[in-house]
Amino acid sequence: MSAGAPAVLAQGLTKRFKAFTAVDHLDLRIKKGEIIGFIGPNGAGKSTTIRMLCGLLHPSEGRAWVAGFDVDRQPEAVREHIGYMSQKFSLYGDLTVRENLLFFGGIYRVPRRDFNERMRFAVSMAGLEGRENALVRTLAGGWKQRLALGCAILHRPPILFLDEPTSGVEPEARRRFWDLIHELAAEQVTILVSTHYMDEAEYCNRIALIDRGKLIASGTPGELRARRLRGELFEISCTPLGAAVKVLTGTPGVVEAAIFGDKLHVVLGEGGISATDLPGYFGEHGIQAGPAHRVTPSLEDIFVQLVSGRRERRTLP
Amino acid sequence: MFERLPVMLIKEFVQLRRDRWAMFRLIVPMIIQMFVFGYAATFTVSHVSTAILDLDQSQASRSLISHFVATSRFDVVDVARNQSGITRDIDRGTAVIAIVIHAGFGQRLENGQGAPLQVIVDGTNSNTALIALGYINQIVSQFSADQSSRASSFRASAAAPEIGISLQTYPWFNEGLDDRWFFIPGVIGTLTLIQVVSLTAFAIVREREAGTLEQIMVSPIRPVEFILGKTVPFFLIGLGDIALVTSIGILWFRIPFIGSPWVMLLGAALYLLAALSMGLLLSTFSQTQQQAFALNFFFVNPFYILSGFAFPIAAMPKLLQWFTFVNPLRYFLVVIRAVFLKGVGIKVLWPDLAAMALLALAMLTVSILRFRKSMD
Amino acid sequence: MNVRRLFAMAYKETLQIWRDPRSLAIALLMPLMQLVLLGYGVSLDIRHVPLCVYDQENSQQSRAVVKSFVSSDWFSISRTIHNQTGIDYALNRDQCIAALVIPADFSRRLAATGTAPVQAVFDATDVNTTNIALGYAQGVVAQTNAQIADGWAATHGILPSLVGQVDLDPSTWFNETLDSKNFIIPGVVAVILALVGAELTSLTISREWERGTMEQLISTPVTATEVMLGKLIPYFAIGFIDAGFCLVSAVYWFGVPFRGNIGTLLITTGLFIVVVMGIGYLISVRIRSQLGASQIALVLTMLPTTLLSGYTFPIDQMPAPIRAITFVVYSRYYVTILRSVFLKGSGLSDLWAPLLGLSIYALIIIWLAARAFHKALD
Repeated sequence: MSAGAPAVLAQGLTKRFKAFTAVDHLDLRIKKGEIIGFIGPNGAGKSTTIRMLCGLLHPSEGRAWVAGFDVDRQPEAVREHIGYMSQKFSLYGDLTVRENLLFFGGIYRVPRRDFNERMRFAVSMAGLEGRENALVRTLAGGWKQRLALGCAILHRPPILFLDEPTSGVEPEARRRFWDLIHELAAEQVTILVSTHYMDEAEYCNRIALIDRGKLIASGTPGELRARRLRGELFEISCTPLGAAVKVLTGTPGVVEAAIFGDKLHVVLGEGGISATDLPGYFGEHGIQAGPAHRVTPSLEDIFVQLVSGRRERRTLP
Repeated sequence: MFERLPVMLIKEFVQLRRDRWAMFRLIVPMIIQMFVFGYAATFTVSHVSTAILDLDQSQASRSLISHFVATSRFDVVDVARNQSGITRDIDRGTAVIAIVIHAGFGQRLENGQGAPLQVIVDGTNSNTALIALGYINQIVSQFSADQSSRASSFRASAAAPEIGISLQTYPWFNEGLDDRWFFIPGVIGTLTLIQVVSLTAFAIVREREAGTLEQIMVSPIRPVEFILGKTVPFFLIGLGDIALVTSIGILWFRIPFIGSPWVMLLGAALYLLAALSMGLLLSTFSQTQQQAFALNFFFVNPFYILSGFAFPIAAMPKLLQWFTFVNPLRYFLVVIRAVFLKGVGIKVLWPDLAAMALLALAMLTVSILRFRKSMD
Repeated sequence: MNVRRLFAMAYKETLQIWRDPRSLAIALLMPLMQLVLLGYGVSLDIRHVPLCVYDQENSQQSRAVVKSFVSSDWFSISRTIHNQTGIDYALNRDQCIAALVIPADFSRRLAATGTAPVQAVFDATDVNTTNIALGYAQGVVAQTNAQIADGWAATHGILPSLVGQVDLDPSTWFNETLDSKNFIIPGVVAVILALVGAELTSLTISREWERGTMEQLISTPVTATEVMLGKLIPYFAIGFIDAGFCLVSAVYWFGVPFRGNIGTLLITTGLFIVVVMGIGYLISVRIRSQLGASQIALVLTMLPTTLLSGYTFPIDQMPAPIRAITFVVYSRYYVTILRSVFLKGSGLSDLWAPLLGLSIYALIIIWLAARAFHKALD
């Protein structure tokens, strides 16, 4: 692998399960040392993409290279260079922390002289010092996740695939987990992480938004925020929320309206209704509304707009 | 080439040791089943419940009845007074055999005429009926012989010579015709099959369901290393189980073991390989434990019925006889019975040993080929 | 018990069964497959016993003896051998089950004394087959002897003694042809229903635990009895369809005589399915992991049903302690009932004893099953 070559390259990667297309001609280019976040709703095709990149599933169409090796033709070479953490916790619950590490170190053939030091690193990273002999099934969720990460990097892989590593983990543990990922990236490890927590996207160097098997946008969080919103974002409190969305749909000047927690997020474009007119407009339709505030768009806003945009286009003749 | 195998093995044994009930589950049911089925599996026909109606009440009729009472093969459960009593006994299943001696039986014998003897058999269990009828034949001809010698000594004339062939029978390998000698080796093979196939089938499916299989599949471990790591422990457990139940057969049931223990070991090893491969193959067709269970349930049953364990392969239709050629138990039963009772060696048994090795090889190859693909 | 809730439960269960075509196929096709395999495979009617012949004399008369064995249809010659070690060789290699040895002086002795020995060596490993073959051999010899005696009488003018000659007049009831399939097929039906029934229900509850839907179910006002009945009713229907398949094929395909009453058959079959499914359900409630449930179901159903129900091995031949165990094997009652209904044409009043056994079983199982689930709620 030459220095300039991408760590991961995918061209037209496609996976079909009978009539259902899970991943649809996906192109991807990941630089070395990058943290790239796969963001998308459940069933968007994130896991399927990661599994193809790991050589767990054969692509139906297209090709992909990981660390310079073709995933379909040289899966064993790929496996030597990657670490993988699946969505589902997948260490042995009936083995101890130490035994799990010994096992995975063994199957990755970590050199004996390095092993003790790496195991100590993995244990301390997971915050499990002194609990090496505890059965893994007795550990709490956050520790399990960090231990699984520790197992996945025992053999120092240059590329790491993490499939929803933080699902079901409490927020505090999630923060600590992301700190670890950044520490790894600082050592030039390329990391591809999928998540459906939008707030986690902010931790990534680059984001790939995936919906229904297609890559719909990619870029740094800043780029996405700046580029993607076709207008300005306003937040407004109103009741009832559902009726408010309905009222705004099709109103000139409204690019997008979506419920965001207990408030409404509205994207207003050039011309048409202005932010100051909004409360009055709602009043005419029997909806109580407070004043509209301009807010900085979150990635979730961007994502909602992109996804709904695609859906509208699809339903239009 | 198998650098990762020791790591797999250590892991498997640590898991096994940690499972507190594992040893219990692997051994105790085998022992219990060996005892229960060792005693239950028998086609012996003895103490057949018999009803008797003696309408003659002569010396000859009483003598005939005493012939029946004297053997342990028949138990007289009812002495009926009339024909309807006999019918009731058979209808209700109180008696399986009814013997009716009509009036004039003794007189006709005395006169040198043929004396008819009516025997009613409940044919529901055709096997018991067939064998019991054979015994009745023997008893009656014995009675006839006794009668004629008594008659001849009474008349002090030379006995008429017996005319015809005298059949001299020699049952080899099992002179006492003890059918436990036949079934105990069969029970050993059957129990092992059921144990080993289900253990192996579940072992891999469990890793699949737990998600750990996925983690292993992204590692550079080769399918051979993984599959060997999974099966070697069960191979050793299976050998232990066979040794255990074989000792019960020899020491408790007193089945003679006249062959070579080495041939037995070789046969057991090849058989276990075939059974393990079968379990592996089933596991590659199941995504969930439930499917593995259903497959196991429906495959193991025909395999053990259609093995010659109790029902002679020669009595099956041709199509099913062909099916038995892919059944490792069929070959193992030949080997284990031959080693126990006949004492023959590899020179005689090599075709069966080779067949087991071939089956194991074929199923193992298919399993390994299917293993990588199974995520799709 | 609320009928609507019960209906909702049963409807949901039916939908789940319907949406899982693989399991449905197993439930409906497997019994048929097993019936064919076992119906044909489980047979003790050995014909054409492979016979090795070592005719040391090779005279016209010795050949006649050999011919009488072959023409009987009970034996077929698999090998002709020419020395004593050949018998060893053939029996050791399973080339034949019986070997017939005719001594070199056979016809000379027969002519001189009227009697001559013929040896029959058996591979007695399979005792039952040996017994049957032995019976066949005796039959063949008896027939041959009758002819020899006639010839002897004609040439020597001496009639063999008739004194003490008993003419056996056997009649076989219920299974007149002594066809083992008439004995075994009804048993096979029982075994298949026991296996399929337990297999179907033994995972219903553990599946809900493992999918996490059980907690949801517990939080609703549904009662334990409703859960049990709701789960069992659809499976009961499948069990009945399976039973119908098997019983109809037993009569029309395998030609087992059916002399009883359909009503008796349906009532007892229903009772048996209740017991079988109740046991599967009980296992399922008690054991939360699918692996554990399936292992227990296997140990409790397959071997006991095939070995201890009397469907092949007669219960009255077992030692007393084992016989005592068979009373717990629910299939033994149904095997007895099926055979009596098929072959003897027994009605409900004749079958009171096994019916009572089965009914007591059903009551205990249902009571335990309803209670067991209640406990699992807390």
